[in-house]
Amino acid sequence: MGLLGFEKLKDYLLIANPAEEPFGWLKAEGDTSIAFVVLNPFLIVPDYQPDIPEADVEFLGLTNVDDAMVLNIVTVHKGGQATMNLKGPIVINRNTGMGKQVVIANGADYSVQHPLLVSEGAA
Amino acid sequence: MLILSRKTSESIVIDGRIHVKIVRVEGEVVKIGIEAPSDVPVHRLEVYEEIQRNNQQALVRPAASLPKLLTPKNKPTAAPVLKGIKS
Repeated sequence: MGLLGFEKLKDYLLIANPAEEPFGWLKAEGDTSIAFVVLNPFLIVPDYQPDIPEADVEFLGLTNVDDAMVLNIVTVHKGGQATMNLKGPIVINRNTGMGKQVVIANGADYSVQHPLLVSEGAA
Repeated sequence: MLILSRKTSESIVIDGRIHVKIVRVEGEVVKIGIEAPSDVPVHRLEVYEEIQRNNQQALVRPAASLPKLLTPKNKPTAAPVLKGIKS
């Protein structure tokens, strides 16, 4: 597992709290100061089609589309606005638990700050 | 910074395992071929920096509260495209 800019951190816990759904947490194991909010992108962008490069497919040992879990990092901005990074999704092999942040081949079609519709004054 | 001169189709090797080849030079554009083990991520710098900046910005305190999502929940129908694997 690796996130761009956080290459030294390899182990994360994926935490889903029913009360916080559909958001989940990706927390660095052993470093409580590192946590990211993640979201299933397909809930927000139904036609999202991240193109995962072959080198990443091989690295993650993916042999089947159903084995790939895709989660995208959410940024909660000051004032409560939120965006989601569609250019660099986190792809996880459901069978092995191995994941990485992938720079998708069709990244030019997507934003790193895709706006999420959130209720005013939240967060 | 180490600066080396190379001609088209010549290569350099880094750490005995990363090969960088000058494939073609077209005016101001240089096509570079990179062969690296799958655990060595290779990115265009500006894309790497954009995502890295976004990750830094997205970093939150574990106790932070989450926004309330207004977007209606769609049934996820789309799927990623895995290069080299038929969906």
